[in-house]
Amino acid sequence: MKILVDAFTIALPVLYFGTVWAYAKAFFKDSPLAKRVKTPLLLLTLAIHLAYLLLRTVLFNHPPITTIFEIMSIISFSITAAYTVIEFQTKVKNTGYFILILAFIFQTFSSFFIEDLSEVKPILRSYLLGIHVSSALLGYAAIAISAVYGFLYLMLYHHIKSNRFGVIYNKLPNLETLEKMSMLSIIVGFTFLTIAIAVGLFWLPRAFEHFSYFDPKLIGTVFIWAMYGIGLGAKRTIGWQGRKIMILSIIAFAVSFFSLTIINVYFSAFHKFY
Amino acid sequence: MNLVAVGINHRTAPLEVREKLWMSSDEIRTAVAAMKGHPFTECFIVSTCNRTELYGLYSGSSDDAPPDIDELKDQLIKVKAPGGPVKREHLYHMISSNAIRHLFKVASGIDSMVIGDIQILSQIKDDFNIAYEEKAAGPLLHRLLQSTYHVGKRTRTETTITEGAVSVSYAAVELANKIFSDLSKKTALLIGAGETGELTAKHLVGRGIGSIFVANRTKAKAEEVVAALGGKAVDFDSLHQMLNQVDIVVSSITSDKFVVTKSDVQRAMKERSNKPLFIIDIGVPRNIDPGANDIENVFLHDMDGISAIIDRNVQKRRAEIPRVNEIVLEELTEFHNWYNSLQVNPTIHDLRTHFEQVRQEEVEKNINRFAAEDRELVDLVTKRIVNKLLHLPTTNLKNGNEETEEEKHKKLHIVRSLFGLHKHPSPKE
Repeated sequence: MKILVDAFTIALPVLYFGTVWAYAKAFFKDSPLAKRVKTPLLLLTLAIHLAYLLLRTVLFNHPPITTIFEIMSIISFSITAAYTVIEFQTKVKNTGYFILILAFIFQTFSSFFIEDLSEVKPILRSYLLGIHVSSALLGYAAIAISAVYGFLYLMLYHHIKSNRFGVIYNKLPNLETLEKMSMLSIIVGFTFLTIAIAVGLFWLPRAFEHFSYFDPKLIGTVFIWAMYGIGLGAKRTIGWQGRKIMILSIIAFAVSFFSLTIINVYFSAFHKFY
Repeated sequence: MNLVAVGINHRTAPLEVREKLWMSSDEIRTAVAAMKGHPFTECFIVSTCNRTELYGLYSGSSDDAPPDIDELKDQLIKVKAPGGPVKREHLYHMISSNAIRHLFKVASGIDSMVIGDIQILSQIKDDFNIAYEEKAAGPLLHRLLQSTYHVGKRTRTETTITEGAVSVSYAAVELANKIFSDLSKKTALLIGAGETGELTAKHLVGRGIGSIFVANRTKAKAEEVVAALGGKAVDFDSLHQMLNQVDIVVSSITSDKFVVTKSDVQRAMKERSNKPLFIIDIGVPRNIDPGANDIENVFLHDMDGISAIIDRNVQKRRAEIPRVNEIVLEELTEFHNWYNSLQVNPTIHDLRTHFEQVRQEEVEKNINRFAAEDRELVDLVTKRIVNKLLHLPTTNLKNGNEETEEEKHKKLHIVRSLFGLHKHPSPKE
């Protein structure tokens, strides 16, 4: 089993590179071969990535959430999984490049530095923690994707406004669809964050002696969750549309990204394990 | 192949000349009926507003000289416009492979005035049917036409030469499809009843736009447009209120000042809670204040913007010409192969090769059953049997002089399909 895990560690960045390459070729060069192979390649990569994570869990006897590089692999997987759902839901197949490149970067970092740890703190062997962390990461992956679609929306918006009819104009889906994809990602992200917070609040106080409701990461996540919740509510009630809501989705993601990074690096009380 | 093509198109004659040669279905019917038999064994005429072309097969062997071209040109002119502005110099002609290649290029759209426009294909089909009904077109031209449709079909499916809007009205609709995902849930307002505006509205209806309103200074004209398109005529004065309700505005009205100002649009956007609004201004001078494009979620495009789309699409279509030419060449080779297979000598050759092959295989398989000294004799006897079997068919194929071209082709075709002699080397090989 160890050999298989090692093989997948090397194979995954290669597979991600191949997938990203196919999506890029299909988008920018219109290559018929790339168009044919990109989705099958995506599904293969996703399947192997899932197998890889499960194998690691069984082999090292803990969910792969104990180091930053294990987390990176999960982030990569979350992005790919969320994108796959969106591609099949919306039938828009040519925006993969812009999203999967993130998954490729995370997985490559992960594969380079990941270690095989069998000895970890007992708390990290908990599968409830696995659910908590996975849904939090899926949530963040989904809002990252929403920001990417927001960014694509703004690009196309400005290209149309300024009469530039190049690759962006030709290949991207229409503005309304991009907006819909971004909003769908936000809803998915919001749902997963809700699960992560619910599981966390229910389980964490029992598992930790030093649990505190004033933990920065907890406050940060609840803040981000509330921000998206208010945004979704406002869209529904005020009827925000188009450019404005897309800019908001990018700002919200940037705020989330920085707050989490800063919290992780500078303040973390009981919520830090590595 | 004894094919000759004579014609006129946008390259050789201006519109006022070539329109003189345009023929209605009835005129085509009379003309092909007159030319059948003499000077042609088979013929058909294609006529559109941009081209009129006559294709004819003349009798005799392929080395024979074609009919007098000048006479053919005069004949075509005489049918429609004797003594008019149409002169021999306005007409071109092509013979044999060049004529076939030309027909294929016409069908592929690369010879069209608007490159990639293959509406001509259905015109060819209709006009050919007339010739077929008149019995002016026979099996050879029928097969040629099948290849021609095939060229058109392959061009459409294997290249992108027909893709991308190259007219103002289509480009406007294409742009609308880049902003909205489902036109059936959107509404449009047509301001003015100019030709291009109406055409754009028509394309929007064709793409399933939810509903359409027409505002014109004279309401009667608006109602006329509505009668043709469907939708609803509204008062010209209510135009500004309409901006709150619709998603797409097409404006093509003659006016020396802006019909819709920036503040009109600003007000409308507020009332429609900033829902995206797409405005196409095809009026000259412009109908809508260009400043409106600065407003968020407003996409205002005038003729310059639309032309940019068209230019780009034309360039993209041009880039496809080499691929189309490849298809034309492939189909040309394919057609030649078929045509050559109809000739007597290659058929006899193929028939003999086929029999000889069977004989050799059987002899090789069984030769070991014979004593060594008999083997040469086996070879000799089997050869003799094959030769005797093939003697009569060969003579019959060769002595078909009294048959018409059509009968000869039919006979050769039957022999080929009976013995499975379909694969025939191309002339180049």
